[in-house]
Amino acid sequence: MTWGLEQVKVTYRSVRALDGVDIPVEAGRVTVLVGGDGAGKSTAAKTLVGLVEPVSGRVRRPEKRQVGYQSEHSGVWFDLTVWENLRFVAQAYGIPQPDSRIDHLIEVTGLGSARHRLAGRLSGGMRQKLGVAMALLPQPRLLVLDEPTTGLDPVSRTDLWMLVAGAAAEGTAVLLTTTYTDEAERGSVVVALDQGRVLAAGTVEDLVSRVPGRIVQTDRPDALAYRWRRGSRWRGWLPDGHPPPEASVVPPDLADVLIVAALLRRADASAA
Amino acid sequence: MWALVAKEFRQMRRDRRTLAMMILMPLVMLVVFGYAASFDVTTIRTGVFGPRAEQATALVDEPFVVDEVDPTVVEDDARLRLRDGRLDVALVTSDDGAKALVDGSRLFKAQAALRGFTAARAALPALEVEVLFNPDLDTSVVLVPGLAGLILIFVGTLLTSLGVVRERQAGTLEQLAVMPFRGRDVFFGKIAPYLLVATLDLAVVLAAGILLFDVPFNGSPATLALGAALFLFVTLGVGVLISSVSENQGQAIQLALMTVLPQVLLSGIIFPLDSMAPGVRWLGYLLPLTYFNQIAQGVMVRGAPLSTLLTPTSVLAAMGVAVFGLAVLRFARELAPARIEENTT
Amino acid sequence: MRPLLETRQVTKRFGDLVAVDSVTLRVHPGEIVGLIGANGAGKTTLIRLILGLLPPTAGRIDLFGAPPRPEARARVGYVPQTTGSYLDLTVAENLRFVAAAFGTTPPVLDPELRAVADRPLGELPLGIRRKVAFAAAVCHHPDLLILDEPTSGVGPLGRVELWGAIGEVAARGAGVLVTTHHMEEAEQCDRIVLLSAGRVVADGTPAEVTGHVTAVEVSAPQWEPVFRRLREAGFRPLLAGSRLRVAGVDADEITRLAGPGADVRPTSPTLEEAFVALVSR
Repeated sequence: MTWGLEQVKVTYRSVRALDGVDIPVEAGRVTVLVGGDGAGKSTAAKTLVGLVEPVSGRVRRPEKRQVGYQSEHSGVWFDLTVWENLRFVAQAYGIPQPDSRIDHLIEVTGLGSARHRLAGRLSGGMRQKLGVAMALLPQPRLLVLDEPTTGLDPVSRTDLWMLVAGAAAEGTAVLLTTTYTDEAERGSVVVALDQGRVLAAGTVEDLVSRVPGRIVQTDRPDALAYRWRRGSRWRGWLPDGHPPPEASVVPPDLADVLIVAALLRRADASAA
Repeated sequence: MWALVAKEFRQMRRDRRTLAMMILMPLVMLVVFGYAASFDVTTIRTGVFGPRAEQATALVDEPFVVDEVDPTVVEDDARLRLRDGRLDVALVTSDDGAKALVDGSRLFKAQAALRGFTAARAALPALEVEVLFNPDLDTSVVLVPGLAGLILIFVGTLLTSLGVVRERQAGTLEQLAVMPFRGRDVFFGKIAPYLLVATLDLAVVLAAGILLFDVPFNGSPATLALGAALFLFVTLGVGVLISSVSENQGQAIQLALMTVLPQVLLSGIIFPLDSMAPGVRWLGYLLPLTYFNQIAQGVMVRGAPLSTLLTPTSVLAAMGVAVFGLAVLRFARELAPARIEENTT
Repeated sequence: MRPLLETRQVTKRFGDLVAVDSVTLRVHPGEIVGLIGANGAGKTTLIRLILGLLPPTAGRIDLFGAPPRPEARARVGYVPQTTGSYLDLTVAENLRFVAAAFGTTPPVLDPELRAVADRPLGELPLGIRRKVAFAAAVCHHPDLLILDEPTSGVGPLGRVELWGAIGEVAARGAGVLVTTHHMEEAEQCDRIVLLSAGRVVADGTPAEVTGHVTAVEVSAPQWEPVFRRLREAGFRPLLAGSRLRVAGVDADEITRLAGPGADVRPTSPTLEEAFVALVSR
């Protein structure tokens, strides 16, 4: 089963937030939506769960009861405890005998020691994990997580990805948004958004193999028209021609793919 | 240092709301409350009854204003007229003297009336004076019903608006919107607890008033309950409306206080409504507490029946329908998918 | 070369809580040092100690060769996590204010900032706000630049630009101390210091830090059953497209658990994987 957005356009206060995007979200897969602040990731997530109505296009999602959603602000009730938050969600979704599932989620999220702590007093990482646990509780067929790892440390992020992969392994269709390309590389499918449009979409292998021209690495950036820093060295993009003598050709990664795509779009925009 | 001062002024200029609060609000408040703040009694509605009513009317002088003259009315009927709030003072004449009945629930008028009687002692040596409902002219007896209303405003408006704003700020309102709830479930689920807490509060405040300050409870609890329920709907509705225009809790508190202050001063709890300048008095007529105060005082102190409190009750009901209806609409719109306008190319 | 900043065995206690536990680190001119750690690892406390906003419980801090003094702050550029700019002032007004505060001239704006110079910062995306905060922090040409999570919420291209700018500052001879918990950024540092529960757990170039940790990559026709088996055995498998990666483990055990049909091969861990493996040891 594939959920998702098809040719969706959304306008917010007369600004086009999404401009005809296709974002398929397949069952049993983690689809990662990557892009910067203002790229349209949150709007896409909200449109998919039905918080925003598109101007045109098609949104496919299961009925409300089978959608789990975590907003970018974690969406937990600060003045309820961890257990009370989960219990409330269970009641809202009418889950019969939810206690064992709540216990299981508390255990796999590592929140056992904080079971009766107020959500407002949790660390950012614990709060995000609680938010994901709440979204997972009704065993949704579609799980939408909006920037669940922003501000999280690597350990919490690893925990969170275990939860997400676990849900996908059970057959849930997952859409996760992030600003980080290394995180996006974990997705089964990556959709990169930029200014409300899809910049690139596909598996990481696909995207990497489709980069036009070559990516090079060098200590002498002056010879490169398109270049950016990577650590103490420089990387550059050669649309065509031979690499300068000191530069070595390297296999591109997702960050390179997205930078090249953004450079191409910028060039298009200034040409138009 | 100058850089700091310049920056602060620039920020002030940009924050229009605070600027308006700083400059305009004190001016408006001073003008409005200045015209409201008056204890002076200009008119005391007086009825003159009993066999020598016609002769006695001639003796009535400012600030007493004769509203009704009827030789056939007996003392018991005169008492009813005071209970129902139709008159402030009744002068019941008999062949060998006269008895003045004073409505003690209108503190300042009663005090002015008593001063008037003292002055008239020479002309009316046999005048017997009885203060009804509040014989000791106790301030707390008059204030407690209105204060109970103020406390309901606190719970109803401030706490409700904070509760909703907090939910929106934390992003959990959005969470509720994607859960399998209907819009009105969320609305009523959100405000029912506040309704309950406010009701309990009212009961506690009234009980404390009765026990600690000897406030009488002369009328029907059911009538008061009806008035209180209508009043609560209005205040909760105002709370939800405030929350829908506030971006954060600070703004909600500011706005809620702006609705509380005028109600303290203009609703007739402290300053009598008919002592106010006409423009300000009309502001008072727009405030829900004005009507709750009339109902609560009428029921508790004078024991007035519902039939004589139909005006304030129906005004509150109308306000309730309007404010609450608007609040439900705004809330439901917030929970529904954002409607998007198509006006770009 | 004398370090711009040196902390020796610095400890900070709040009651029973040891927020920073005998941390030793140095930042030399021209060097980008990454301070990497989980939330609550003590990064922000350490920065506050370095800036002289908090006194250490024990140990010694030398900022430009002396304990942190208010005057030293004129030589430091600092961007807090919250950017520290005024959202109700425009881009140009913010920069003018900071320049006036340091007694210098406002920086020349690049085309992107020039286009929005007269708009209040609150209306602009986080990426622009961070760029403005960075421009404000370097306008007085500080010798030491301290950045607390400078790129959180910034898109890929904006992040690359910001790191390009950080690199330029270092190339001009200033030292940079930057906190992040995004490892793809940590890899851009000359040296990294991994902090966990207030202690330094690893210190060195990114290659040195990852060199101590082993990792495997598992390819299988179906990743789901392998994922479940590894998770049940207590490992922390991470999804990578349609493959799984596990760090800090013994390849033979993973091979046994992954079962026939799965291809398990050693790989070099990412810095993030190395970090998680080092911290959970």
